Amino acid sequence: MTEFKPTILAFCCNWCSYAGADLAGVSRLQMPTNVHVVRVMCSASVKPEYVMKAISQGIDGVLVLGCHIGDCHYMTGNHRTAKRIPVVQKILKDVGIDEKRVRLDWVSAAEGEKFQKVITEFVDEVAKLGPNPLREVAF
Amino acid sequence: MPKKVVVIGGGIAGIQACLDIADMGYEVHLVERTPSIGGRMAQLDKTFPTNDCSMCILSPKMIMCAGHENIKLHTYSEVEGVSGEFPRLKVRIREKARHIALNRCTGCGDCITKCPVKVPNEFEEGLSIRKAIYLPFPQAVPRKVTIDAEHCRMITEKKCGVCKKVCQAGAIDYEQKDSLIDIDAAAIVVATGFDLFDASALRQYGLGSCKDVVTSLQLERILSAAGPTSGHLLRPSDKKEPRKLAFIQCVGSRDAKMLPYCSSVCCMYATKESILVREHVPDIESTIFYMDMRATGKGFQEFVNRAEKQYSVRYLRSRPASLQAAHGESGVLVTYELVGGTTEQRTEEFDMVVLCPGLVPSSGSEALCALLRIELDKDRFVKMPNWKHPIDSSRKGILVCGFAGEPMDIPDSVAQASGVAARISELLQAVA
Amino acid sequence: MPRIGVFICHCGHNIASTVSVEEVAKFAATLPGVVIADHNLYSCSEEGLNSIRKSIEQNKLDRVVVAACTPRTHEPLFRSVCEQAGVNKYLFEFVNIREHCSWIHAKEPSSATEKAKRLVAMGVSKAALLEPQTEGESNVIPAALVIGGGLAGLRATASLAAQGIETHLIEKEPRLGGLLNDITTLAPYSESADTLLQELVDEVRGSKRAHIHLNSKLRGLTGFVGNFKATLDEAGKKKEIEIGAIIVATGANELQPEGEYGYGSVPGVVTQLEFERTLKRGEKPGDTVFIQCVGSRQPGREYCSRICCNTSLKNALKVLEAGGTATIIHRDIMSYGTVWEEMYRKASEKGVRFIRYTLNDIPHVRSHASGTAVDVFDETLGERIHLDANRVVLATPLISQKDSAEVGKLLKVPRDKHGFFLEAHVKLRPVEFATDGVFICGTARWPSSVRETLSQALGAAAKAAIPIKRGKVVIESITAWADPDKCAACGNCVASCPYEAIEILEQDGKRVAKVNETQCKGCGTCVAACPNDAMQQRGFTTRQLSAMIDSLVKHALEESP
Repeated sequence: MTEFKPTILAFCCNWCSYAGADLAGVSRLQMPTNVHVVRVMCSASVKPEYVMKAISQGIDGVLVLGCHIGDCHYMTGNHRTAKRIPVVQKILKDVGIDEKRVRLDWVSAAEGEKFQKVITEFVDEVAKLGPNPLREVAF
Repeated sequence: MPKKVVVIGGGIAGIQACLDIADMGYEVHLVERTPSIGGRMAQLDKTFPTNDCSMCILSPKMIMCAGHENIKLHTYSEVEGVSGEFPRLKVRIREKARHIALNRCTGCGDCITKCPVKVPNEFEEGLSIRKAIYLPFPQAVPRKVTIDAEHCRMITEKKCGVCKKVCQAGAIDYEQKDSLIDIDAAAIVVATGFDLFDASALRQYGLGSCKDVVTSLQLERILSAAGPTSGHLLRPSDKKEPRKLAFIQCVGSRDAKMLPYCSSVCCMYATKESILVREHVPDIESTIFYMDMRATGKGFQEFVNRAEKQYSVRYLRSRPASLQAAHGESGVLVTYELVGGTTEQRTEEFDMVVLCPGLVPSSGSEALCALLRIELDKDRFVKMPNWKHPIDSSRKGILVCGFAGEPMDIPDSVAQASGVAARISELLQAVA
Repeated sequence: MPRIGVFICHCGHNIASTVSVEEVAKFAATLPGVVIADHNLYSCSEEGLNSIRKSIEQNKLDRVVVAACTPRTHEPLFRSVCEQAGVNKYLFEFVNIREHCSWIHAKEPSSATEKAKRLVAMGVSKAALLEPQTEGESNVIPAALVIGGGLAGLRATASLAAQGIETHLIEKEPRLGGLLNDITTLAPYSESADTLLQELVDEVRGSKRAHIHLNSKLRGLTGFVGNFKATLDEAGKKKEIEIGAIIVATGANELQPEGEYGYGSVPGVVTQLEFERTLKRGEKPGDTVFIQCVGSRQPGREYCSRICCNTSLKNALKVLEAGGTATIIHRDIMSYGTVWEEMYRKASEKGVRFIRYTLNDIPHVRSHASGTAVDVFDETLGERIHLDANRVVLATPLISQKDSAEVGKLLKVPRDKHGFFLEAHVKLRPVEFATDGVFICGTARWPSSVRETLSQALGAAAKAAIPIKRGKVVIESITAWADPDKCAACGNCVASCPYEAIEILEQDGKRVAKVNETQCKGCGTCVAACPNDAMQQRGFTTRQLSAMIDSLVKHALEESP
């Protein structure tokens, strides 16, 4: 049996987590190839619909990464993210999808190592959950 | 009419000074002696401590410089005379004949392919050849060829003319003469950078006599994807991958008889190179022979620790006494003494040795400073005598940034280069 | 149908050694809307840019995708090439296959190539939906704020004022000068620190453009480059100032080595700064032993603090002048450059004793009948040495200010793991933050000598002066707008906007949300708050992001399930 490699989408805010991902690259920190970063200006611009859309179409996991609370480039944007994403997780749980498929975390521009850690952990976690059950429904 | 500033030297310090001065609204004339701006940084493969690709971060700045509405590039040019005093200085620039009509050349390179004359390539530190008509490096700015009149057969012997035949743009002009330009400048910036100390002058280090002894700048070129070996780490003698490499610090520097000072950057670039070689040859073993490991900048000590722990770099505190060719032509025998109260000498064989020579003010900078009537310090760097104004030379309105004033790394050079812009703005505001 | 060109960069071998650039280009050519897919050794070189420019013209491209490094450094360059070739710069999309792919998957070339393909496909799907934009401009308030009244802040303030810019200098203490107040002379030439400080303070005090606020702290900050509003607490009173640019010069502190090497328990053991103060008071130092790297270059605090060796060299020479003996116990002498190395040599020649220790066998300091004793294993000689001293000076590193976290939070600028401020790029943007209009200099960024601090202060002053001298800043067109047909005027966006940039207005007889574009900073919070998909952010529309998700689904799941 070949090992299951989940497909993961990550939204990274321009100011902290995208910069943290860049730093991980510059530092040559190695990590799994399953994660696809989409740059947004602020984690607060990630519509819950994007996360739902990705999961409902069979993406195995979605990461939303922003600046640490208090560090948001847009003052309070990430406070909203911090409220929205748990709601998304709850809705998923209610419909029978493991809420661990969606993770919210904070990675600063200086935290290349944390980016690597979050990515590696999340990939492991989602791999353990196995393929998104909606994959079959989607196709 | 905007005030004008002349910046001498088109390396990273000169480029940054130009950009900031120009962004302040002054007209800047950048005088660079070689055919392209970029300087030493263009020759580097990567930069410490992030191993960021050097050309990748430099190239956008070079292009911004060339495209800036307030910057005029004078490449392949030298300052020939300076008269007057701040803020009314007159600078005479000699634009040397490239034998190319710049407005016609497209940089297509057809002429280069056809040129029959081969000359050692300066940009590649002599590790490959270039033609008599050439582009110094692929990312050159401006992207225009230059005819090296000293080696061109048409110019020296009136025989050949191939480049003119193949040039569809009609850009070749064998009769072209130097031209002189006078600039009324309010201020001048000296950013003339550094050269490598000629390590072949110290015979014990074997440069020139042992084939597998190279300089650190040669290694940068060897490691570069665009370099003479297309990025393959091969030693010169037999073009084989080395497995055991030594770096020797303070070659000619921190030596009362040669260069008494420390060049500030060698500990870190040797550390960088020792990491990079392992990315090219995963099981390579590197030893760095050093006196004091000077890792004083942001993230530097962590970088050294990483080299030691993750890349198994061996740091050995010792100044080798001699280097000799090993059996036959390949490999190098390094003889050194261990610390710790013994006087035991050891000889160890390495596949290849990299010398980290002291860095000296670039050739010609002494003559330039005489022209500018500014003082030098005893190490021949530009003297900056005023404590409160550490980037002012001994003459008002002539500023210094980067290695020309003192050995320093890229960020320090860039910070100083920006500082020069502020200082010029202060000085010109006072006389406005 | 859009006409998209895709340009994949080798970045020398930074990308090409892991990702098969040719294969990615071949794949990109098959994507909908792509009319040309090419690759280049260095896309950002003049040659690379020329070939993109030519390709845009020859292939009549109206969208450009470059797959290379990071938009955070290279987007402006490629956007300007698009503009030169007549393509609106907002019709450019950047795909990061270096930092986010080749560099982090160095050992998995085939997976990395597959991932690069998917990333390119996502970028192309977004590019197809990009729309041209025009940029706004905003005026710049011709004034600056400098935070911190030490050497760096004073020099930056003096420079800005001399350049004709109104400058506010805030200092939390009741006096200017910071750490310089405690220092006797400046290495290596023995200038008096007081003289330098006094000259700078006089210059700032004498300038009609410099405004000094003592006992003051920054309490709040809003706005953006060119238009910041800062709230100060000046000796208990609230004050608001408007500025166009900000320089952070908050300095650093000396580490207190509690409990180490007898500090606090053995008499005569002091830190370097405490030692400076005794010298300044005119006390005779007597026989002095300096211990370097106390609390630095070791697990827990790995960094070298750059200035401590040179300070010890300077003070050791002072000890000799005062008739004492001086010994420096060190691990490496960090006298980089010309002047420090000369001072090192001078110290050796004049009789300063140098003993090298290692972390495996650190010196021991204890009380002694006649003073203080230090026992140390000399690595060079390979023997144990006993020293008697009147004073033991512990050279501890500079550490970040206690309130640097607070300053960082207010300004929204990052700090590194040691608490020093993190510049925009460690190599080429040493005095800038990634946030436009905010700059950094001096020991708040990293320990630096007096000369280096002065140079950096000038550098930051230049950067801060540029937008002010130009008088205008361009506003990136990533602002939000509301589709009046979909808007139900629910007001969620109004409530979510951190900048109060949205109002509900009457338009054509209907109440709709309206974004004030000069106030909008382009965060997109309102987009996520809108239940009707009426709110959109330029460059990040819901259609564009949904297309990226669809593309990932298609290329990751459908084609290789």
